Amino acid sequence: MMDPAEKAKPYFEAAARGALALQRCAACRTHAFPLRSRCAACGSTALEWSESAGAGRVFAHGKLSRSSLPELEGKLPVTLLLVDLDEGVRIPARLAAGESRAPRAGERVTLSFEHAADGTPLPVFHAAR
Amino acid sequence: MTSRDSISGATAICGLGMTELGRVYERTAADFAAEAVLLALADAGLAKHELDGLLINAGISQGVDLSLGQTLGLRSLSLQTQMQGYGSSAGQMVQYAAMAVHHGLARHVACVFADAPLVSGQRAGAAYGGARARRPGLGSIVPSLGFAGPIPLYALHAQRHMDLYGTTQDQLGAVALAARGWAAKNPRATMRDPLSLAGYHASPWVVAPFHVLDCCLVSNGAICVIVTSAERAKSLARPPAYVRGFGQGHQLEWNDSQPSLAQRSSAAAFAMARCEPRDFEQAQIYDCYTFTVLTTLEDYGFCKRGEGGPFVASGAVSPGGSLPMNTGGGMLSSYYMWGMTPISEAVIQARGDGGERQVTRNGLIAVSGNGGIFNHHATLVLSPHS
Repeated sequence: MMDPAEKAKPYFEAAARGALALQRCAACRTHAFPLRSRCAACGSTALEWSESAGAGRVFAHGKLSRSSLPELEGKLPVTLLLVDLDEGVRIPARLAAGESRAPRAGERVTLSFEHAADGTPLPVFHAAR
Repeated sequence: MTSRDSISGATAICGLGMTELGRVYERTAADFAAEAVLLALADAGLAKHELDGLLINAGISQGVDLSLGQTLGLRSLSLQTQMQGYGSSAGQMVQYAAMAVHHGLARHVACVFADAPLVSGQRAGAAYGGARARRPGLGSIVPSLGFAGPIPLYALHAQRHMDLYGTTQDQLGAVALAARGWAAKNPRATMRDPLSLAGYHASPWVVAPFHVLDCCLVSNGAICVIVTSAERAKSLARPPAYVRGFGQGHQLEWNDSQPSLAQRSSAAAFAMARCEPRDFEQAQIYDCYTFTVLTTLEDYGFCKRGEGGPFVASGAVSPGGSLPMNTGGGMLSSYYMWGMTPISEAVIQARGDGGERQVTRNGLIAVSGNGGIFNHHATLVLSPHS
């Protein structure tokens, strides 16, 4: 069993370059999220890393006002997003700081990164221009 | 006639056991479970040695397991296992029990759910995705974003419904008000004070569009039902609630381009019972959140896609409405026993034991169970008539 931190290393390396790393099946090219050890589409274990083009559509949004998560203390409210990336996976994310309006379901958005207090890179999205 | 058809009405729920439910502290889930099974046996008029099947569903606190058979001193079991489908578990247990009884694997199968996540002095939400230890690797991303537990994910699905169909905050509120209206008539309900729309709006936000009052309670306790054959049920102590139809649906995630899991589950159940949505007299719908009710009413065909909001706001599911729903107050106002909340209320109604909240009892009752983030669904069609 690979250590979870070791397994996710490509995500953090790509994020440092401003890119979102996604697992992709080498056999059938299906993208995966969250991390898998076997492709859910074809069953192959030949999963490799690829970089998302960073564009997609908002599946849904909602404004978080209350949370017991210590990392969110003093940061609320934030707008949570579920984004359907063009690669065919749905990821949890947030609306980028400074975006004035939450994009509605179906609107196009583009990716960038913000950082949690401990430096964890978090995917955030802007309304596509 | 196929064998799938012949099971319709061939089994019934003959026993119901409900412990004290809600803010009941200092008791374990295993102890609640044992009491619920014994209460259900007594209710049915069955002796302990007659119980030969035991299906167990542990709630979030995971406090009950296969040792329940030993705790109860059950020596005649020919069927026993633990099951897990989250909010769909209870409906699933009744289905597997009905099949086991119908095919002769067991005569009387107890299906029990038990949970004891509430700790005195601790926030109710703490059991469900409150503060949790940081996880390494990618596991750190999701909570750091603000996604903790099921509430944000359900809230976002509700907002999508609002974006797509124009569902309003008042319409979500109408679900909470309907539940409270029914809870006022249920002596066992936890929250019985009258609730106004203004009171709903004044409830604190958790994740918009969800206020605290869009989210169900967290409760301690256990509920058990016993399934037996229709023939056997007729000779027991209480009026049978016949199992006329059932179905399930499971999916990876919400996908608007395909029939939903609740559509597939209810279609299978209604086909088995040879009925249509308009044939139902009442519905007991899994209401973990107000939004879950709107989408389930649509999926079951009680109203059109996207019209769940106006349907509920019209008063249709409130006391005096055309489709009495969650007549015990549901999980939003009464008690959160996962899928056993709607099933137990359906049995109470089928027997005519509803007291002040009893609706007429000559019709079909649709019962839903929903688990995960719209990942698992179970439907039952119950009736006082075979």
